[in-house]
Amino acid sequence: MSVGHLARLIEQAGIATVVIAVRAFRSRFEEMQVARALITPYIMGRPLGIPGDIDGQRAILLAAIDLLNNATSGGTIVDYVCL
Amino acid sequence: MPDEIPKETFESFKNSFSYGSRNDLNFKFLRGIPDDQAATFFQELLWKLADAFDDGDYERLYKHVYEWQRRGYAGAGKWQYDQGCFSPLQKPISENKLTMLASSGHFVAGDDPKPFSVENMTQEEAILQINDFIKSAPKLSAIPVDTPVEQLCVRHGGYDIRGALADPNVALPIERLRDLASEGVIGELAQHVYSFVGATSQLKLTKEAGPAWVEVLQEQQVDAAVLIPL
Repeated sequence: MSVGHLARLIEQAGIATVVIAVRAFRSRFEEMQVARALITPYIMGRPLGIPGDIDGQRAILLAAIDLLNNATSGGTIVDYVCL
Repeated sequence: MPDEIPKETFESFKNSFSYGSRNDLNFKFLRGIPDDQAATFFQELLWKLADAFDDGDYERLYKHVYEWQRRGYAGAGKWQYDQGCFSPLQKPISENKLTMLASSGHFVAGDDPKPFSVENMTQEEAILQINDFIKSAPKLSAIPVDTPVEQLCVRHGGYDIRGALADPNVALPIERLRDLASEGVIGELAQHVYSFVGATSQLKLTKEAGPAWVEVLQEQQVDAAVLIPL
């Protein structure tokens, strides 16, 4: 779980992080106590969904930015729901 | 007498999707689940396939694989921590400098990280060397944030890269990041985004490479990072 370890190192350095991960990895990021994670409803290898889905990719990034702006404590894990 | 072909067991069949004769990284989770559950996966997959023939709704196949990937990775992982780390933002992202780091194995054409000093390693070769990757230190590829996606390459022996080949933004949404910066949603983008092969030595990542990468982010005075695991 390389990204979980990196998230912890980056947060320890005072830089805010948000992880965008597929559902299969949710429990891993819970256990690693990452600061913020957005869980997307997609299969492995496609965390931002279907190739070419510009609107969907944009909406996921906006949700991740919202999490960066508004999370108030560590371990904030949100399940992204497609509109 | 002709040589008899050894009978394949169901266990070896299901395991063959994980770095075996039928390698398909979308289905490598099959190795981690018991035979009876794997049998249920295949039976339901075929049932749903026939349903889709009748009503044209293939979305159920996607959901089926999604659900079984989730089950395949459920349960305790190797890395568990009692305490989290949390750095609150001092300003909204619209006033901050942001970067992105994905364990996707992307790099810019002409700047191949050359794992194990191999020139032009293919995806197939990376898959064959997965055990070497997970014992080795990771290499970070710095990707100028204005790089056209046509100049991006991807290679990673740990996941199915077909989605990322079709559209790099499914794993490294660099175009969407640029869109949001140009609209002012993000205050500023760092000069680079970053990618590496996530199948790597966790010890070398946490003790050597990771701290050095953090210094790179600090030197660029980055306030926040979007991290994407593959």
